[in-house]
Amino acid sequence: MLRVENLRKVYKNRKKHITETVEAVKDVTFECIPGEIFGLLGPNGAGKTTTLRCISTLIKPSSGNVFMDQYNVLEDEKIIRSRIGFLTSDMKLDGFFTPDYMMDYFGALNKMNRDDIQSRKNYLFNELQMSDFIHKKIDKLSTGMKQKTAIAISLIHDPEMIIFDEPTNGLDVITSKSVTDFLKKYAQEGKTVVISTHIMNVAEKICDRFGILVEGELKEVGSLEDILDNSSSDSLEDVFFGYILPGTEGGEAPHAQ
Amino acid sequence: MLSDSIIILKKELRRIFTDRRMVAMLVLLPLLMLPVMYSVMAKMGASRDSDITSFRSTICIYEGAGNEEVMGLFIEAMAAINTELEIIQLSEIDAVKLAITEKDKELLLVMPDNFHEDLEGCSTFDIAVYFNSTADYSLYAYNRIREVMDLLNGEIVSERILKQDLSEEILTVFTLNESPMQYDLAKEGSVIGKIISILLPFFIIIYLFVNSMKVGLDTVAGEKERGTLAVTLVNQVSRLSIVIGKMMSVMIAAIVGAASSVVGLIIGSKYFMGMFGASGAAISSYSMSTIHILQFAIVIVPLAVLVASMVLIVSTFARNTKEGQGMIMPLYFVVMIMGMATMQTGDVAPKWMLSTPVINSLLVLKEILMQSASWSGIVTASLSSIVFAAVLIYITLRMFSSEKILFRI
Repeated sequence: MLRVENLRKVYKNRKKHITETVEAVKDVTFECIPGEIFGLLGPNGAGKTTTLRCISTLIKPSSGNVFMDQYNVLEDEKIIRSRIGFLTSDMKLDGFFTPDYMMDYFGALNKMNRDDIQSRKNYLFNELQMSDFIHKKIDKLSTGMKQKTAIAISLIHDPEMIIFDEPTNGLDVITSKSVTDFLKKYAQEGKTVVISTHIMNVAEKICDRFGILVEGELKEVGSLEDILDNSSSDSLEDVFFGYILPGTEGGEAPHAQ
Repeated sequence: MLSDSIIILKKELRRIFTDRRMVAMLVLLPLLMLPVMYSVMAKMGASRDSDITSFRSTICIYEGAGNEEVMGLFIEAMAAINTELEIIQLSEIDAVKLAITEKDKELLLVMPDNFHEDLEGCSTFDIAVYFNSTADYSLYAYNRIREVMDLLNGEIVSERILKQDLSEEILTVFTLNESPMQYDLAKEGSVIGKIISILLPFFIIIYLFVNSMKVGLDTVAGEKERGTLAVTLVNQVSRLSIVIGKMMSVMIAAIVGAASSVVGLIIGSKYFMGMFGASGAAISSYSMSTIHILQFAIVIVPLAVLVASMVLIVSTFARNTKEGQGMIMPLYFVVMIMGMATMQTGDVAPKWMLSTPVINSLLVLKEILMQSASWSGIVTASLSSIVFAAVLIYITLRMFSSEKILFRI
């Protein structure tokens, strides 16, 4: 189980002797249970990627903590990393190598033996329909193929929790569907899935619960029913726009929890 | 931890040595560049020499007043060299000087008036020889004329001595090292080693640094730029393993590149050294014993680790490879100056040099080439490289823990 507690992340930018402080994530708290897909929704710059980076141990929180069962990101970085698969849109794969080689490489870095790597490769290549391009250089692959490769690599060690930042961003309809179907299947296997997105119909289709993040603040947390019950809007999209474009049609700011 | 570093090292080496462009830049280019460069230089030099020596120079002579009877002696001596002699009048001297400056004529000899009196009276007179040191033909003609005149001078002196009923030996009090014996008691091979040691350590440090730069800037700064570094960071691998793995790959690439450059240098030196005649031939036949090769390796490997760590620290700090290239240039100049400093060092180096990393290793390399290195010096230089490399690796590791440095793109 994932528990984010009062997470706060402050960046300090020093320009011409003036230190500018930016609070990217403000006191964010939410939970995600195994078998559930949690969607972190928010516009660009809302703090989604920063939140996910803190959860994945890539950066340290300024205050607060993130727990995964009894482990936390401040003290158990390595254990947390062994239990998560993390993917963000700004993480790229080295285009010089093939998906097959990269799977071997990251499998070895995750302390897996050759047999385990091979069986995991067979499973993921099959599930994500990658067999046609596993021996091609990543540079030569389409955006969808690269995204599938990135997903496969992040899952090579069969993590208990996956954290994907904008997993369907820039993908065509078919690839997007295969990715969302895969995430649903992964959650059904009892794994915890946290995704961030700003595409509402994707979120509505696959997420069990949502968090709406605006300017670093978590405005809403709950299932679709919970969120709509608290709002005068009748769709998740209206609730979302209510926060980011207050006063527009369907943009009446609902009450935050 | 070491197993993770080796996994990273293997991946980095695969990236370097299966990339055709990188292999061409790191191995083939230095291997071919120096032999091609030296052979072109040697051929062009030989062609220039042949052109100069076969050229028929125009030598103008102003005979001076009243010297008609003795001038034949000088004209005859000059006929031995490939020249066109042109007797000129006093009024033409300035015009000929201008022609020499303009490279239209090669040489002007101005004989003093009535020098036959000095010649007969056994006194000294001065001949003015005008030439242009920036014109190859003029300079060559000047040197040849000096040789001929020295010879003629000797002949005239001999005649004067004989006229006085004296022996020519009166001119020589004693000689030095004229017997056919080995007077230089330096160890066999160390003389040639000393000549090689002036240049080779400088080339080695430059090659190590340049090859580290070719690979090292891309290994972290390039990965930051491409966004591929974060993928490794979210896996179960410590940052120390990443730093060590990357450092080792830079070091191996630097050594391979430097070795290929030195092989290119050796092949090229066959052409290059040929230009220096017999001493050149001796240099190209220089060889090292197994123990000296071992000593060389003991110093070179830690030095390569130190250089790789220098490049890695810059690569880690830089936002991208372009910024890294800008940042590393001052460091490159410092290393070049260090290399140059060792070229000018005598047998006893100042203490500050012996305690300065890089410089002390280069000094020991010089001693190894001269076959006079001590094991204590070798161990000290190697340890110093290792200690400084460890400090740089520690700083790089601290940078790898800094979000500001690692994620500023």
